[in-house]
Amino acid sequence: MDIDTPEFMEYFLDFSVAVTGFSRFDLQGTGQVSLYFSTIRGIIGDQIFGELLQTFHDLDRKAKRENNQSVLTDGISFEILVSGKLGPIARNIIKLWYTAIWYQLPSPWQEKFGARQNDITFIVSPYAYPEGLLWPAIGVNPPGAKAPGYGTWSEPPSVKLS
Amino acid sequence: MTIKSVDCQTVSKTFYDAVIVGSGVAGAIVAKQLSEQGKNVLILEAGTSRDLTLAGFQSYVETFYGAIAKHANSPYPLNLNALSPTDGLNSYFEEKGPMPLSGSYTRVTGGTTMHWQGTTLRMLPDDFKLRSKYGQGLDWPIEYTDLMPYYRKAEYEIGVSGNTKEQKELDIPFLPGYVFPMKELPPSYLDEQIREKIDGTTFDLDKETIKLKLSSFPQGRNSVPNPDYALYHGDVFVPSGVTSENPLEYGERCQGNASCVPICPVQAKYDARRTLGTIAFPDRVHLLSQAVASRVEIDPENGRVTAIHYKHYKDKNSPQYTIGTAKGRLFVLAANAIENAKLMLASELLSTSGLIGNNMMDHPFILTWALMPQVIGTMRGPLVTSGIGTFRKGKFRKQQSAFGIAIENSGWGWSGTGATDVLRDAVNRNRYGKDLRQELIDRISRQLLLAFMCELPADYSNRVTIDPQYKDRLGNYRPVIHFNISDYCKKTMADARKVSREIFKRLKAEDYTHYKNSDPAYFEYEGEGYWYRGGNHFSGTHVMGTSKHNSVVNKNLRSWDYENLYLVGSGSMPSIGTANTTLTIAALSFLASEQMLKDLNT
Repeated sequence: MDIDTPEFMEYFLDFSVAVTGFSRFDLQGTGQVSLYFSTIRGIIGDQIFGELLQTFHDLDRKAKRENNQSVLTDGISFEILVSGKLGPIARNIIKLWYTAIWYQLPSPWQEKFGARQNDITFIVSPYAYPEGLLWPAIGVNPPGAKAPGYGTWSEPPSVKLS
Repeated sequence: MTIKSVDCQTVSKTFYDAVIVGSGVAGAIVAKQLSEQGKNVLILEAGTSRDLTLAGFQSYVETFYGAIAKHANSPYPLNLNALSPTDGLNSYFEEKGPMPLSGSYTRVTGGTTMHWQGTTLRMLPDDFKLRSKYGQGLDWPIEYTDLMPYYRKAEYEIGVSGNTKEQKELDIPFLPGYVFPMKELPPSYLDEQIREKIDGTTFDLDKETIKLKLSSFPQGRNSVPNPDYALYHGDVFVPSGVTSENPLEYGERCQGNASCVPICPVQAKYDARRTLGTIAFPDRVHLLSQAVASRVEIDPENGRVTAIHYKHYKDKNSPQYTIGTAKGRLFVLAANAIENAKLMLASELLSTSGLIGNNMMDHPFILTWALMPQVIGTMRGPLVTSGIGTFRKGKFRKQQSAFGIAIENSGWGWSGTGATDVLRDAVNRNRYGKDLRQELIDRISRQLLLAFMCELPADYSNRVTIDPQYKDRLGNYRPVIHFNISDYCKKTMADARKVSREIFKRLKAEDYTHYKNSDPAYFEYEGEGYWYRGGNHFSGTHVMGTSKHNSVVNKNLRSWDYENLYLVGSGSMPSIGTANTTLTIAALSFLASEQMLKDLNT
């Protein structure tokens, strides 16, 4: 499968919006989209990455066609996240967006689908770290970056329980 | 203008007034004090010195960003020629038990102030009389009042923000009218939530009723200069900032980066480079970095120190080194309590008292954690802004140790469940999208962690020793550690847990504290299990005292056995109470410098 086409980058963004809970605007604002895309691709290869994105895209299209959001949410849960092949990749992508860390894939996955040479736990780039979504998700700055300013810690938190 | 970085050749050709081992807060203050009185000094630093430039410091920040585990030494690159112990992550300490000491220090220019949290509590007057008043540990040969003027110098040098009124409530005397150079940092939102429910409530400890009261932590972090300081000092305090640039132009207030340990990216937190960077006559101070002191040379004829032998490496990634010697009139070991003791033992220095390396102390911490009923904005601001100091004193100290409570703004990270761990756990349970975001708020933004810093009095058998079996890559000794926690301290740790239960109950917080029995620092006391975490406040390994039979140094920190040798740092402290050690280290460095100047001028 060749995923070196603009559509797959779009699928990747759509998928990322769905699994992270952040908007396209937020994700693009991190400046990390293409770095993450190429990192994931470089580790697991086009075949499985493409399969994940295609699976997502098909679900997304179907949900829109049927005007039924649960097609997508059920699909993400039961066709992607519980899948032995796609689940670990999808979870890794969420973690990557939130922490800038790629976590080494679990050994059952490696045994079944083949160990990858670049599949080690690492921070994708030092300047990806401050772009992690974990921090805005909980209404704080990434520790050591994007400081909010003197005394801001006295103000009520910006996030709420639903 | 910065101090002069020199090479081995320059050092070998120079006879210094003083040779200082270590460029941390103690060594830096001594260098500043001596050089400003016309003395030429050399600082030998085991680690690298790239942080003396702004670009070098920024590279530390970048290393921190790129580190997966953001531990206390994560900004400082691994250096096998001068390893920094890091909470058991490397095998620098050879721990012989029965309990682990753990903890960390940093071997780079600026020393451990590069990663310190910045808390600058003074010790209490009672802390200096632990033996005579409470029958525990050791007394100091000086009293709180003797140290008062030096505390003020230290607070100026470090640039302390705090509130003297609150500290006075703990019976800490201050000069009338004296205030800290800067006002206290604003309390966190979390502090206020706790204050509302806790202030004024009581807890019964050993038949004594202790009133709980929040107070701000004095800290070496820029806030707003206090105009009243001018009444004491003559001028308003001007905070300094980025070392190696014009500090007056870049002095910045704390920006709430929330990463005080291990690095403050805007340099609003004091570190010893600031002292090195503000030396009035920098030409008089030579710095030789990448030079690990390996032996103190003694003239057998007159029993005076004649030189420090060091191993100098050009490349931290290579074990190649050359040997050099640094000569002078006076010698100052300022390499921290463990490294000082190790160097003296390695040099087979005479010790009439036999106390080199013994009486090693630390502050073990008991951590307790809970989820507040409401979102409190965890992980914002300096790591700690307030605490409860009212357990720092009391008659109970005859039976059990005193303790201070810090309210951690940073959540559960120290207990082992940081924000990243929560995220991984939630994602592994297939949470995603908006649900994931809600779960993160629910499980992180309500996190409360209380850290109970417990006093551990001097105990002869807690010690650092050396053994030829355990050496590092340059052939220098690694510290061999024997450490245990006494029942005097364990009783307090158990009570600290009870205090936390009471506090959590009053806050209606859900208690999640759990001490796994597989933890290396796990112990049981009266049927209940706990673990502790090391406090990095290593001290006592060359205590000061009243005679050469009961101590290693005199009240001016001069060795009893070698008259031109000074041992500065927390190793000289006979007790550490419930105060983080850096401020007292700085005060003692000012005190010792006065005596050094007298010695040098006679």
